[in-house]
Amino acid sequence: MMPQRSVLNDRSRHRATQSPLRHIDWTLPALAIGIAVFGGFMNYSSTWRLLEFNGDDPYFFARRQAVFISVGIFAMVIAASVDYRIVRDFAPQLYLAILVVLVAVLFIGKEVNGAKAWFQLPSFQLQPAEFGKLVVIVTLASFAANQGGRLGLNGLLNAIAIVVIPMVLIFRQPDIGTMLVYVAIMMGMLLIAGAKIRHITVLSVLGIIMIVTVFNAETLFGTPLLGESQSDRLVAFLDQDADLGDTGYNLDQSQIALGAGGLTGRGWLQGTQTNLQLVPEQQTDFIFTAAGEEFGFMFGSLPLMSAYLLLMWRILRAGQLSRDLFGTLVCAGVLSMLMYQIFQNLGMTMGIMPITGIPLPFMSHGGSSIITAFVAIGLVINVRSHRFSS
Amino acid sequence: MSEEANIGVRMAFLGVVVIGLFAALFARIWFLQVLATEEFRVQADTNQVRLVTTSPIRGRILDRNGVILADNEYVGVLTVDPNEFADDEQRDFVLSEIERLTGESRDDLLVRLEDAGADPFAARVVVAGLDEQMLEIVTERALPGVTAEVSAIRIYPQGATAAHIVGYVGAQPKGWGARHPNDRYLPSDPVGRSGIEALFEQQLRGLPGARKIEVDRTNRIVRELGEDPSLAGHDVHLTIDLELQAAVEFFLDEGLRGRRGVQSEDDDRFFYPAYGGSAIVLDIRNGDVLAMASNPGFDPNWFIEGISREQFDSTFNDPLRPGALNNRAVQGLYAPGSVFKLVTSIAGTRAGVIGGRTQFEDEGFFEVPRDCGSTCRFRNAGNAVYGNIDLSLAITQSSDAYFYSIGYDLWNIPEPDERQWAIQDAAKDLGFGQQTGVQLPFEKAGRVPDAEIKRNLFEARPDVYLAEENSIFWVPGDNINLSVGQGFLTVTPLQLVNAYATWANGGTMFQPNIADRIESRRVGTVGDVVLEIGPRVVRQLDFSDVPRSVINEGLEGVTIARNTRSGLTEGTAFTAFRGWDNRGYGVVGKTGTAEADGINRALGRKKEDTAVFVGWAPRDDPRYAVVVVLEEAGFGGEAAAPVARNIIDALRKLEQNWEDPEDLPLVPVDQPGSSCPQIPITLLRDPTYIFRVPEGCPYGIPTPVITATTVDPEAENQ
Repeated sequence: MMPQRSVLNDRSRHRATQSPLRHIDWTLPALAIGIAVFGGFMNYSSTWRLLEFNGDDPYFFARRQAVFISVGIFAMVIAASVDYRIVRDFAPQLYLAILVVLVAVLFIGKEVNGAKAWFQLPSFQLQPAEFGKLVVIVTLASFAANQGGRLGLNGLLNAIAIVVIPMVLIFRQPDIGTMLVYVAIMMGMLLIAGAKIRHITVLSVLGIIMIVTVFNAETLFGTPLLGESQSDRLVAFLDQDADLGDTGYNLDQSQIALGAGGLTGRGWLQGTQTNLQLVPEQQTDFIFTAAGEEFGFMFGSLPLMSAYLLLMWRILRAGQLSRDLFGTLVCAGVLSMLMYQIFQNLGMTMGIMPITGIPLPFMSHGGSSIITAFVAIGLVINVRSHRFSS
Repeated sequence: MSEEANIGVRMAFLGVVVIGLFAALFARIWFLQVLATEEFRVQADTNQVRLVTTSPIRGRILDRNGVILADNEYVGVLTVDPNEFADDEQRDFVLSEIERLTGESRDDLLVRLEDAGADPFAARVVVAGLDEQMLEIVTERALPGVTAEVSAIRIYPQGATAAHIVGYVGAQPKGWGARHPNDRYLPSDPVGRSGIEALFEQQLRGLPGARKIEVDRTNRIVRELGEDPSLAGHDVHLTIDLELQAAVEFFLDEGLRGRRGVQSEDDDRFFYPAYGGSAIVLDIRNGDVLAMASNPGFDPNWFIEGISREQFDSTFNDPLRPGALNNRAVQGLYAPGSVFKLVTSIAGTRAGVIGGRTQFEDEGFFEVPRDCGSTCRFRNAGNAVYGNIDLSLAITQSSDAYFYSIGYDLWNIPEPDERQWAIQDAAKDLGFGQQTGVQLPFEKAGRVPDAEIKRNLFEARPDVYLAEENSIFWVPGDNINLSVGQGFLTVTPLQLVNAYATWANGGTMFQPNIADRIESRRVGTVGDVVLEIGPRVVRQLDFSDVPRSVINEGLEGVTIARNTRSGLTEGTAFTAFRGWDNRGYGVVGKTGTAEADGINRALGRKKEDTAVFVGWAPRDDPRYAVVVVLEEAGFGGEAAAPVARNIIDALRKLEQNWEDPEDLPLVPVDQPGSSCPQIPITLLRDPTYIFRVPEGCPYGIPTPVITATTVDPEAENQ
């Protein structure tokens, strides 16, 4: 930690070194785009057969995903180029705006699988809770940075309120899976923001109790709190899997698919579990299964998970190198968000986490999720590239 | 300093969490994909999910009063998949077991099992019509490759009646699946092969569903994972009236049978073969086809239940009753003969070569003025001499000489003047030489010959045409032949009746409708009209430059004896309509006795004349146009007119039960600048979508391309 700071303070360097362009960490966009492109191929691999069977365009999902990725990359460039400190100035406005939108979606949103979480636009749907994650990260970072690295009980409660208000709105949709991402963001950022260890401990215990309650709501209260899926479902066909009321089934099939992939995989477009649509939500929540089955451990899971690990590492580094606490907090928020989603999603397909429908960043089919992930990386690039600018 | 260190430690802690979580993921994936992969792979291979296509229920076909012409019936069927047998011994065992249980003869079973035309990978229906108890018994025996199940089969409750209109379903023609890659046809799915069944295949069929089932290694169903139900096909409601249809078919058949007992005029050693024919009743007020008969016919149920060799031969291989599958009303091409004189009358008066009351001296023949030998003399039928006549009498008595002279005079109009093609123009105006657009497959366009068409014909088949020492150019004889409906002219019965209907209603030409509307049979929308086909006006003809009253006077005289200067003049159909209630329900029309080109191959002699009658009734309030065409049956007035009389008689009686059709708004099709949308292709893909025809937009069904599989009567006649 310390050696880097001494470099930062070394004024003997040439003035051009302050130019943000010179300090872009190219690994970040390279990893994000690389994973996204691979995800696009897996989108095709996991949907073409059913689309063709239905007499539709087999490239339907792949084509859409390509458009989402392009828009995402564009959004990432924008997010990386505007100085992030300007974003900080607008944090309150952004926050108010997202609250309005989250309220609005409860009234005029489109209901998909029992959750009113989408705005219907021509040809695709917008999920405000996805973008809300970024706004909460920026707002919380802005608030905590003003507290100067220490959070007393008052500060802590204020910080929690910032996250809990949108969480309540998302809970009303209800979209518990996404809500838990907000919890992860809050915990990660509070840690960095300087919350007292005992407060964090209490929060963690409360959080764990809450999560356990949510996951077991059905056994405890007789009504499930988790929606069957919160992902963007375009193919309603054969969607009746949910009617089987057998989540264990999905889990089994997903693990069978991964296991059958083995060391080297079954080959591109050759996964039987994938092709036969044995695994549900193949192009969204269970996209990793397709990669794991068709490319195996060596060419699928290992490189992909390593890429994610490397991405997390670079985000952490960007946070450490940030010239101010706000930047560090933004990176910590992005890190917590992506890390939770990756762990939750992959853990779910591998059978070590329960099923909640949240997308795998950069891989799962869906415009809101892809764009959000890219903008998050854009913010991190931004923080890192401005570490020498005054 | 301490604050920064604090953040550093906390960031480091975050890093540790990241590494910890990833470690867990890596460990788990290592276990799944490396350590335990064998076990999972076995599971993946044994448990397979199958998407099984389920066939939809086919829509029905009904007449205008809701009488069902095509329906579905649920019967127990026993299918055998020959690929399931280990060896011939096992097959023999299975067959003898089926024989023992069902009582079907072993030879029959074998024939059905080895059907050469069927898809080799598909299971075959070997026994149909099993009751529930029998199904259970067969199922309990668990014979290899044998499935006993309840299945929907097509039935045609009216049998042979309206068979040419309804058509039939049958096994898919070769390459069907490849031509319909997105429609999920199973190789064993029957498809519409002719008639309404073929033209409305897409609408009638519905949308197949799918069952998602998990099966184990031995194809045993482990569990049902979900079902996307199939969507029932739509009902097609026709414009025909089944009672009238049955009557028309009966009288057509009766007329043909009668002629087979009459000696030929040309050679009294022979009887008229009267091979077949057609009759149509059209509502001239809106273009609805009320009845359309074609003879010989067939029973579409034969294609479903199977047909015996004997039945097949007597129906489809009888050289004396050729083309039983063809709908002669739209596929039969004939020289119309004298009924075409209506067109020549319009052309001649329009071009100004004759006037309605111009006197003409009929000497029994017409001679082309320039000296060109004896072949330049064109004689009246039967060498009759009619003396001094005008247009009206020329029509009533069917003087050929009168119309020959029109044909020649028009030909004689020098080159740049378009009036020399007046007959052709009038014919095309009235719809000849083009499909009428009725909703039936394989419709023929016919031919209105001119110089270019003749040259093309000759250049394509010089061996056939030049052998008759004919000129490749459009010579006077060509126009003279055309003027009396002979020569290279060919028309379909439907074109004829539609042309007369257009004349009778004052010039509104409709595309005839045989399909009236399509109704949904899907849950939730049962009975909703998916597609309404209103009257479809092709064009409005202007007859103001034609002496309509003179021509109609001539046509009215055909069925009666009219007063003229030379006393009572009998029309050509006078005998046939003797005693008819002319005051109450006058029949206006024209007879035709058309020479048919070529040789009757089955009999080895020249073809007999085609007998034609076409007209409308009642005279004072024209409502229905009728055509009767009898092949190789002799005189129109003698053979066709009596059939027409019987039909109109039946029509008059049945009409009492009908409601007056409401005055429907008439909107021309192909109206320039009309904003009527195309029928969306998605019509059937979306179960909840119903296409509502915007007000004022008449819709027909676009004719899909169907490979003709039925016999072409024209080719056959060559």
